[in-house]
Amino acid sequence: MTTSRREWIQSLCGGLGSVGLLGSLASTSAQAATTVHYAGPAIAHKAKHVIFLFLTGGPSQLDMFDPKPSLAKYAGQRPAAVSGFRTERETGGLLPSPFKFKKYGRGGVDVSELCPQIASVIDDVCVIKSMYTFNPTHTQGKNLAHSGSILANRPSMGAWVTYGLGTENENLPSFVVLSPNTEGSSLWRAGFLPSEYQGVPFNSSETDPEKMIRDLRNKQLDPQAQRKQLDLVQAMNQDYSASFGADSFLEGRLKAMESAYRVQFEAMDVFDVRKESEAIREEYGKNSWGNSCLLARRLVERGVRYIHLYPAGAPDPIVRPDWDDHKDIFTSLRTRCPNMDQAAGTLIRDLKRRGLLDETLVVWGGEFGRTPVSEAGDGRDHNPYGYTMCLAGGGVKGGIAYGATDEFGFRAVENRVSIHDMHATILHLLGMNHERLTYRYAGRDFRLTDVYGEVVKDIIA
Amino acid sequence: MRPGLYPLVLMLATTAHSVMAQAPASAGEELFERNIRPVLVTKCFACHSSKLKAPMGGFTVDTKAGLAAGGARGPEVVAGKPDESRILHALSYTDNTLQMPPTGKLPDAVIADFRQWIELGAPDPRKDAPATSATPAPLRGMSIADGKKWWSFQPVKELPAPAVKEQAWGRKKIDAFILAKLEENKLKPSPEADKKTLVERAYLDLVGVKPTYEELQAFVSDPAPNAYEKLIDQLLASPHYGERWGRHWLDVARYAEDNSTSEATNPPFAFAWRYRDWVIEAMNKDTPYNQFVKLQLAADLMPGTPRDDYRALGYLGVAPVYHKEPRLSQEVLYTFATDDWDERVDAVGRGLMGLTVACARCHDHKFDPIKQTDYQGLAGVFASTMRAERPMRADLDPKVETRYLWVAQRLFDMNVIMGILSTGEKQTNPEWAAKKLEGMKLEQKQLQAEIATLKDRYPEMVAHVARIGTIIRSLPVALQPDTKADEPDAAADAKADIAAVPATAAAKAPAAPRPGRRGALASDEPFMNAVYDAALYVDGKDPFMTEMDYRPGEPRDLPLFKAGNVANPGDIVPRHFPTVLAKSDEESKFFQGSGRAELGDKIFSDAAPLSARVIVNRVWDWHFGKGLVGTASDFGTQGERPTHPELLDDLAARFIANGWSLKWLHREIMLSSAYRQSSALREDAEQVDSTNKFVWRMNPRRLDIEAYRDSIMHASGTLSDKLYGVSIDFDDVKNDRRTIYSRISRGRLNTVLRLYDFPDPMQSSPGRDLTTTPLQQLFVMNSQFIQKQAETFATLADNEPDNAAKIRKLFHTILLREPNPTDIDRGMTYLAQATLAQYAQALLSVNEVIFWP
Repeated sequence: MTTSRREWIQSLCGGLGSVGLLGSLASTSAQAATTVHYAGPAIAHKAKHVIFLFLTGGPSQLDMFDPKPSLAKYAGQRPAAVSGFRTERETGGLLPSPFKFKKYGRGGVDVSELCPQIASVIDDVCVIKSMYTFNPTHTQGKNLAHSGSILANRPSMGAWVTYGLGTENENLPSFVVLSPNTEGSSLWRAGFLPSEYQGVPFNSSETDPEKMIRDLRNKQLDPQAQRKQLDLVQAMNQDYSASFGADSFLEGRLKAMESAYRVQFEAMDVFDVRKESEAIREEYGKNSWGNSCLLARRLVERGVRYIHLYPAGAPDPIVRPDWDDHKDIFTSLRTRCPNMDQAAGTLIRDLKRRGLLDETLVVWGGEFGRTPVSEAGDGRDHNPYGYTMCLAGGGVKGGIAYGATDEFGFRAVENRVSIHDMHATILHLLGMNHERLTYRYAGRDFRLTDVYGEVVKDIIA
Repeated sequence: MRPGLYPLVLMLATTAHSVMAQAPASAGEELFERNIRPVLVTKCFACHSSKLKAPMGGFTVDTKAGLAAGGARGPEVVAGKPDESRILHALSYTDNTLQMPPTGKLPDAVIADFRQWIELGAPDPRKDAPATSATPAPLRGMSIADGKKWWSFQPVKELPAPAVKEQAWGRKKIDAFILAKLEENKLKPSPEADKKTLVERAYLDLVGVKPTYEELQAFVSDPAPNAYEKLIDQLLASPHYGERWGRHWLDVARYAEDNSTSEATNPPFAFAWRYRDWVIEAMNKDTPYNQFVKLQLAADLMPGTPRDDYRALGYLGVAPVYHKEPRLSQEVLYTFATDDWDERVDAVGRGLMGLTVACARCHDHKFDPIKQTDYQGLAGVFASTMRAERPMRADLDPKVETRYLWVAQRLFDMNVIMGILSTGEKQTNPEWAAKKLEGMKLEQKQLQAEIATLKDRYPEMVAHVARIGTIIRSLPVALQPDTKADEPDAAADAKADIAAVPATAAAKAPAAPRPGRRGALASDEPFMNAVYDAALYVDGKDPFMTEMDYRPGEPRDLPLFKAGNVANPGDIVPRHFPTVLAKSDEESKFFQGSGRAELGDKIFSDAAPLSARVIVNRVWDWHFGKGLVGTASDFGTQGERPTHPELLDDLAARFIANGWSLKWLHREIMLSSAYRQSSALREDAEQVDSTNKFVWRMNPRRLDIEAYRDSIMHASGTLSDKLYGVSIDFDDVKNDRRTIYSRISRGRLNTVLRLYDFPDPMQSSPGRDLTTTPLQQLFVMNSQFIQKQAETFATLADNEPDNAAKIRKLFHTILLREPNPTDIDRGMTYLAQATLAQYAQALLSVNEVIFWP
């Protein structure tokens, strides 16, 4: 199959074109500017890729990973510890979780009945229960989670990572965003980093690559005709270069044209989850979550450095698509979790099966968690003081729970991990010292972690 | 992280030699090694280590001496007396001004360990290496006295043209400076570019499009010796000049029409386009640059300024703002407010004066002679300046307007809060909510009644206020005055209340803007996004709802925020101009209102040399693709030094002498021999100066997106010459306007603009990084825009008799040149199997189209 596709594409590329081999990363002529900017000390590492599963809105750790029996014991009460505990909205008494928790894997990690698939791969997962961040609102919380700053102008982690490590596949963007809409593009911005490092968004509510990527296909020319057109363009370009003289732009664009030509076919293939077997598609789930996770795996196989996913949607349209459950949280979680759980669990299992889990760091989490006290009786408000994120693969210890929140799950109290610590740890797992990945702008050296951040060494295998 | 869990390895690594060298440790020493030192290492070293250039507060804890000595505020540890030890108060978060670590309070158990350790006499078994025992002086920025000597702050004066050997080359004074430097480095300038290149360069540079083939021919065939000079003058007089140079300015002014997110309190700026239009007009009129900037800071405070020029205030009025969710605490919203002010300080600092003043938000500048008080002195100006949608009409009673602006904002804010209170969701504190809503309804009714009295004289203002609710909540404008107050549904109630008073006025008003979450809100109602003098306070009296408190006509001096933290206020800092730039401390203070007008004055009096250097360098950068100072927005110690300091000074001095005229500056530059050089690579010169810092050639460039798209449309005859107006979506198939009229969104920047390196409008941009990527080429190869343009070009060649003639015609229109025999052969071969439009698309795709030699 691969061979015949390769031959087919080779047949399309006459004259100047060299072939971007599918699955192979050695596209010789397109290897123009894959610059590695990280200049710090070499750090032994395994991770080469990141897949960030972002649960927009703030998923409830108390109903998935952080069981608190005291919530049932003091249900409806407002313990003294809550006084002065200000979140986004008004909250009432403690709201126990109705979901059953069990301990899984060699480390006896707590997982609720909402996440059986994640539970089944828990020996590859590190559950960090002691996350905390610095703002209880979505915009600022999301900015923090992505860029380490509440301001909407700093580079996103994906931009930092690709700036630091360069790309492995010149035919595909190195920072890919899979999102059902482009709202919130501030989250994958390059900020002051050169614009080539910004995330390139693909519409993940579609499965047809043509609909996911702007201007991907030529609607008038078939590949052979387009190749002939491009040959004419390139012949003129070579004439022009010969008359003007050496110039990096002229040379770079000539190559970019060839890459673009190949991207059309490579992307049509890579971004098409329908090319996967029915069995695999069923395993991931044929929905936004399943498709996005499966696509992320395909992108990692092609050398894409950093993939940020914002899968949305629940099988039932009356349930809000994101995780911002201010009311009716239990019904919503029951409806929304199965797709997420199936896709996330399958992603980890599938990466491992293919020998990719070691080199791929999977990150799971939202901009904050939710409160143990109720909002509007049956909802939970935003909680940046203590929440859960999960890591898997990429050199992280599996089968462990790290850190803890207080008796009720308000605040992280043990082995606290700030969002800056998380960023520092992710960079470390990728072989970069977060204090040495810097960019000089407006008079000073900026970092993803600003002046904060501490690598959580205890969770590194 | 809990210290107890720290692996032994870590302790061995950091403490091995000292532990092993010690006699049996005391209980206190053991406690230190086991529970104190790991916390110091993991929680404190980042900011309090002697290895840092500038340990915070001058306090270091990585050495015995440092820990014992304390910091700038005196001793931190008093052995045996935990309650007198500042460190314990900081750790316990009992001291409002000093809470450590700043990332969050440590667990009580850890604090108890510290208490016990201090009670045990705070023994520290470490032995300091002699070299590190002395705490190095914290890194401080340059002193004010030294700063006064910094090159970019020095007066500018005209300088004699340096002597050069090759007398014949130069045309303008600029050339002597350039040539002297070239000769000094044994370099020769490049020959003049060919006529086609020169005309294209001049067109692109001044009006943002390449000439048409006919325009090009007209110049090439003009035998007049001053043909080039005539062309420059003609282009400078074109109304499209303002569109080209206005767009350059809008990069610096981080112009956009909405915010990065669009929530209840930060909706899109419906009248931002009026600021954009003002910039274009001002450029076309060659408004003196100092006046141009002053109007953008303070048009409303400058006596005699026509109301129309208040549109300039969009510089501040469409600056990015963050959502102020009223349910957040006073402290959080206060922080957001300071973030907004910080953006203005940064835009004014870097954009107008090339100074990174914003680096001094949390502490004195680490490098430049800018104190934190200087930062706060500027921030106060913006804390005293409120954004507002101000009416365009000139015959407004100022008192009426000020009151109106306040009421409109108050109604807007209340609308947000009432929306929250009346969404129908169960409230945790229903009594409070009901009471709050009741009170607000009453206030709303009173304010609406007050506004209604303006109905006869100012109907458009009444109509504008009427829409506040509909805009925020995207409700249809259909208003139903009879759904009245005693309806049980609180939400419907609130809606009706908003609608009630001004319904009749609204019916008479022009068509309301279509409500939408983003972008579609541009409106041509007679208003502008501007600012006026009002101090902003954040009111935290209500425990559940934080409100904004605007005080018109009242300026506000801010306290120094220690470490930038609003919860840590220090002394009040009067609003003032940065000390290092001010002629004297006495005269640096601002007294009139917010101080915006005085700020504008100071930028062009006390700081005139700096401001002139900054804009002259920007203009040079936009003409040459590279500035004399490589860091266009940083003229401080961390920026680059000028490659030609005398040239920059002389040009800046003459720019001032010529009335800050940008058009004078363009002529001075574009008529020079330096500017007219060819951009072809010369191996000999490249070996000496590979980055072309000595300007031995013109820098070859890629077109920016505006010049690229507009040039193609200009050549195909599909570009509208219309000036000004409400923005249009870049991708709209009917969009025949110049790219400057495309809608600019901070939250959803158009994909093509983004792909072609349009700068992030969240912050002032010093210039564009022009990249070349495969995704850009997908636009060229496959987009509807390029295909449609190709079809149009093909139509233009349709009437030609044969393929050779059609090829020639397409070469003229698209590439502005004659095809050579090879071009004709290739074209003929290609056309044997493809359409003329496909051929036109191939021509549109070649490097020649987007390259700027």
